[in-house]
Amino acid sequence: MQNIEELKFALLLATLAMLIMAFFVITFVMLYQKRKFEAEKALNSIEKSHSKRLLDTALNSEETERRRIAQDLHDDIGTMLSLTKLSLNQLNKIVLEPDSKERSLIHKSQTLVEETILHVRRITRDLVPTTLERFGLSEAISEFINKLEDNNQLQITFHSTADDSMRQQPKVELTIYRIMQELVNNAIKHSKCSNIEIELEINSEFIFLKVADNGIGFNATQLKEDNLVGLGLLGIESRLAIINGIVRYVSPPAGGSLAIAQIPVAPISEKKPEPLYPFKRAKIS
Amino acid sequence: MFDNYIGLCTRHPLQCLPVFITILPIIILLKRKAYISKPYLILLIFLIFKLAIDLIMFHLAAHRTNNLLFYNISIPVSYTLLAGMFIYKLDSPIFKKLVALSIVLFALFSIWDMMRVNPDMNDSHNHSMVPYASTIQCILMILWILLYFYEIMVSMKIPNLFNSTFFWICCGFLLYYSSFVFIAPVLHYTEKWTNPLSIGFAANISYIFEIFYLLAISVGLFNFEKQHYAKY
Repeated sequence: MQNIEELKFALLLATLAMLIMAFFVITFVMLYQKRKFEAEKALNSIEKSHSKRLLDTALNSEETERRRIAQDLHDDIGTMLSLTKLSLNQLNKIVLEPDSKERSLIHKSQTLVEETILHVRRITRDLVPTTLERFGLSEAISEFINKLEDNNQLQITFHSTADDSMRQQPKVELTIYRIMQELVNNAIKHSKCSNIEIELEINSEFIFLKVADNGIGFNATQLKEDNLVGLGLLGIESRLAIINGIVRYVSPPAGGSLAIAQIPVAPISEKKPEPLYPFKRAKIS
Repeated sequence: MFDNYIGLCTRHPLQCLPVFITILPIIILLKRKAYISKPYLILLIFLIFKLAIDLIMFHLAAHRTNNLLFYNISIPVSYTLLAGMFIYKLDSPIFKKLVALSIVLFALFSIWDMMRVNPDMNDSHNHSMVPYASTIQCILMILWILLYFYEIMVSMKIPNLFNSTFFWICCGFLLYYSSFVFIAPVLHYTEKWTNPLSIGFAANISYIFEIFYLLAISVGLFNFEKQHYAKY
């Protein structure tokens, strides 16, 4: 009888020990998994912030380089061209015969130099959008559209609710401007559209930039899956990642394509912003 | 006629409860359409088979007839089905082969064990439980579950274990087989039709954990999402 009682006790004890072990195993698996995922998440976040910083540096370098080229064009080439124009004007005065071959050649050279000066000025402005720094996004986008409409048969409309809003940080404004440029250029190059609509909307939380066209449209998801995304679209996503923005591509039922960039608002701080003015040499740290 | 069944339920409620709780995971499995995934289709077959065997044993027990033959038959079949799920769930080809090999060897072993203990199969009255097969089944099942846990820890393929159907199923079975591994061999000596020997509360532990594993399977299946079935 005592043996049976001992057997029952031993059986209970062994079963209990086995159950405790099973509970321990389950708890261990769950805790281990949780910790490993947390560690991986932390590592991913470090990697992400590192690549974001790298990207930010790369884009800053690009902007600095643009400014440097614009500055060199203005200071060196621009000055030289102005001097050439002056010299040609003087030469024009020296040549006495009004209908001589030399005078017509000088006149032709003067026209060429003037055109070159205009081109250099346009390139400098394209490289660094001075209007953006001085008057803000709406004005810069309007100016960009005007320039495009002069050169194309396109109809471009622009609606903005940003006029009454506070100016955003220079980096945010520049990013939005560059994204708008890229989206519009993409529409012109690839969509075969005749009409482009740009909308800029700023509310208390987000800035929305919408670029729609009536062209052939495209499937962004399919492009990503097939690894056919070009540098343009990748560049947009990279630029947005730095300012915590996102972009969505929609295929409207009426056709064409619609890109919506959403960026958190970053109103300009009290501190004086870094100038984008091209004709001051930027400090390279 | 129903007096026998009601009488059995009132005399042994803990033993009868798992028979009816088996219906719960079957309903959830069918409702969530988890059978589209092969491991859960096997689980459905196992649950239906278990329900059928349990109902037969319940009926025989209610009519005071020795039902241990059905228990012995259920061991190789249930192991084949449960281990079959792990063939689909384990990633390593070596482990898969091991599980498949164990199914064949265990089926042969359990038949041998049953025949050895009960040489006269027609004498159902004195039929007794297998001494080794159920213990080995417990050990093998614990082993496959631990291997599965090892794989999910190494591969990190499941971000949230609470949402994983198969993790819940494994937890239920791990606790059930852990509770049963030491009791199983003892039952051969205690569960006799004539002169049974009581081992007290220890005999009830496996029934408690049988209910637990059925509930764990139900919770796991409730988390099953059709669109994610290939993931976990």
